[in-house]
Amino acid sequence: MKKLLTAACAAMMVMAIAGCGGGDKKEEKKADAKPAAAAAGVPAHKEKLIIGADGDINNLNLQKQQDAANNVILKNTHQTLVFFNNGSQGKDRFVPGLATDWKFVDDTHIIMNLRKDVYFNDGKKTPMTAEDVKFTLDMAMKNVVKSALAGFVKCTVKDKYQVEIEIKTYNNEFIQSLASVPLSIQSKKAYDDGVKEPWFIGTGPYKYEKWVQGEYCRLTKVKDYWGNNLPASDNFSQGISDVIEFRPMKEASARVMALQAGEIDVCINPPISDLKFLKEDKKITVDEKTGTRLFYFAFNVEKKPWDNKKLRQAVACAIDKKSVLDAALNGKGTLQKTILNRGLWGFYDEMPGYDYNLDRAKKLMAEAGVTGPVNVSLTYATAGGPYEQIATVIQANLKQIGINVKLVPMEQAALKAACKDGKQEMFIWRWNEDSKVDFVYRDLFYTGSGSNYHHFADKKADQMIDDVATLKDQDKRMKTGVELQKYLVDECPQVPLYIANLVIAYNKDLKGQYFYGGGNHDWRHAYIAK
Amino acid sequence: MYKYVLNRLLALIPVILVTSFLIYWAMSLTEGDPALMIAGDNATQEQIDQIRHELGLDQPFLIQYLNYMKGMLVGDMGTSYVTNKEVFSTFMHYLPNTLILGGSAVIVATIVSIPLGIYTAIHQNTWKDTAGMVFALFGTSMPNFWLGLMLIIAFALHLRMFPTGGLRGWSSLVLPSITVGFGLAALITRITRSSMLDVLRQDYMTTARAKGCSRDRVIYRHALKNALIPIMTAIGLQMSLVITGSVLAETVFSWPGIGRLVFESITLRDTPMVTGSIILCSILMCLINLAVDLAYAFCDPRIKAQYSKKG
Repeated sequence: MKKLLTAACAAMMVMAIAGCGGGDKKEEKKADAKPAAAAAGVPAHKEKLIIGADGDINNLNLQKQQDAANNVILKNTHQTLVFFNNGSQGKDRFVPGLATDWKFVDDTHIIMNLRKDVYFNDGKKTPMTAEDVKFTLDMAMKNVVKSALAGFVKCTVKDKYQVEIEIKTYNNEFIQSLASVPLSIQSKKAYDDGVKEPWFIGTGPYKYEKWVQGEYCRLTKVKDYWGNNLPASDNFSQGISDVIEFRPMKEASARVMALQAGEIDVCINPPISDLKFLKEDKKITVDEKTGTRLFYFAFNVEKKPWDNKKLRQAVACAIDKKSVLDAALNGKGTLQKTILNRGLWGFYDEMPGYDYNLDRAKKLMAEAGVTGPVNVSLTYATAGGPYEQIATVIQANLKQIGINVKLVPMEQAALKAACKDGKQEMFIWRWNEDSKVDFVYRDLFYTGSGSNYHHFADKKADQMIDDVATLKDQDKRMKTGVELQKYLVDECPQVPLYIANLVIAYNKDLKGQYFYGGGNHDWRHAYIAK
Repeated sequence: MYKYVLNRLLALIPVILVTSFLIYWAMSLTEGDPALMIAGDNATQEQIDQIRHELGLDQPFLIQYLNYMKGMLVGDMGTSYVTNKEVFSTFMHYLPNTLILGGSAVIVATIVSIPLGIYTAIHQNTWKDTAGMVFALFGTSMPNFWLGLMLIIAFALHLRMFPTGGLRGWSSLVLPSITVGFGLAALITRITRSSMLDVLRQDYMTTARAKGCSRDRVIYRHALKNALIPIMTAIGLQMSLVITGSVLAETVFSWPGIGRLVFESITLRDTPMVTGSIILCSILMCLINLAVDLAYAFCDPRIKAQYSKKG
């Protein structure tokens, strides 16, 4: 027995010793031992920047995916014709990227000139030309990213550095579509030459080094990047960290502990419950700002009794949004009245909306002609947000006006299918959009749209949505946009609840980072200062 | 013996057929449209229909299943809807990680549980036995994600002995192995104890002691060897469960294993990935069970003789 126990202890010791000499620490030491790049204009920095991501990296083939977790990586290795200056407003929001300028020749034709100094990171400095642009856009029409290029008809090469893009009808936001990461310009030559995985070849300041599925994706700085001489203030200036590594760590607590242990430099979306401890840690900075992800409660307006506008409004008045936000995120968010995501063009939140008012709710119920108790089901997703907490508060709220709510939790895939088929009565969902208003108005409220889970069909709203998309007079367009938001709030197919705060915790020496409310962060110029 | 092994391997064919059909059927019954998940939130109905057509999802269930099986016959397990990578190569990418975690967890469990099971058996009805059983009860009752987080706080965050997670060298294996192994150890301890108690009560044990055999010799040479068969069965079964059932530990430790792969694939309605992975897991489980059956022969000469007779 003693021998066996001794053997067991010895084995544990061996494991512990082996553990202490783990490969990871050696790798870290090796990384730190290298001097920081001494290039002119590049600040002293740690070689590697490690980001603990909250989503799995599942596909890095640009046009075969639409996940934010993938796009955040691809933004470092690829570049778009139009650059989305997220966080800016007005004319500075969508600025020239690989295209130097563009002009509408008429309502449906756009002439676009390209930069002449750009080349692909393929080791041969293959220049990026109009052929690559045409190739990329044509290929997009055959892939899942087609939805990002709505209205595109064709692309014609006018000369080596000029293309003409034809669209079906004039659209105020078509140019903005070209800033979408999956539409980054790819190398036609790489595809023609039969290069293995040609989609990895981009023009960005970083290039793909290694992706081990489920573990990490590592990018390295391109030494002969075409933009090396651009000033640091330029959107396309060179990267700083020599290596950027993205590690998918889905368990939030594990991500926080990895940050505290110094294994990662950035923890995306730490749990709200851990913020207090993180803020006490002197090596860590916690950044909190208003996000863009809108959580909302909604009706399937095709189903009785929810085709009754007054009843929908009564429910809206019975929901205590502040309690919802407190229960869901401990108050870390912003209450909202309008249906548009915060930060988008034309955002307007000044309408009266529906404050928590039970007397008004009961009055509206009476006006709606509803007297007896109403039994109804509320569908929500089991993952991806604090839906359960939101649903529980709403269930209690609606009980006060005689509406008995049965909670129906569903897996996200099942929920989307059920909502699309109109099987749900009431539901809780979220929408995140940071660039195009049409992706909110049209997708969520236009008659027959695939994501119109409200099954809302209203000719007046449809007309206003079309007007916002096509009116050239920007003042009129803005007026219509505000009018549309007021109208949709009044029609009440949806009760906007709150915009969740964006929370990120990181090594206090992190510099050059850009965090955006929608989660599409920009790491190209981020580094850990030495 | 060889004939027995061959028969067991041939039995894999119906296993594959039944498993693949059941999984395909179950996935078809599950609500949720893969095309909706792939197309993304901004897709139009036309695009969703196009994706459905390209993936063959607009065909009846049986046609979809037969097409899948046609591919299987030529060794093609399909391509993941989400990653566009071959199912087989993706599975094989994750498999070694799972085998390493499962193997090391079973080693940890065996090292702890067999000595403890023996110790509690030979001290039956004493405080030592009670303490051992409390440990086993604690191990069975404790959720392994909680134990995992506690180990990370203690050994990774405060003592900085091991990394918090990921797959970076042997050091990252220690905490997940202990986490998964602890739960297994509890069960194996209880089985070892009860199996040892059964054997220790046998007449031949009394005879061995009467003939003057030392206590250690009676326990380790005569009793343990005879008590091993249920223990080995339990270890084999646990190993099979660990392969697909370590989702929580894999998530807490960001360990890229089969459990997480299958879980994520189910969430995204990635039918080829789910079906392929479960078929491969079934084959793996059959092989583990076969290995356990063969190992019986080395413990028990009577079983070896049976195999020889059949073979």
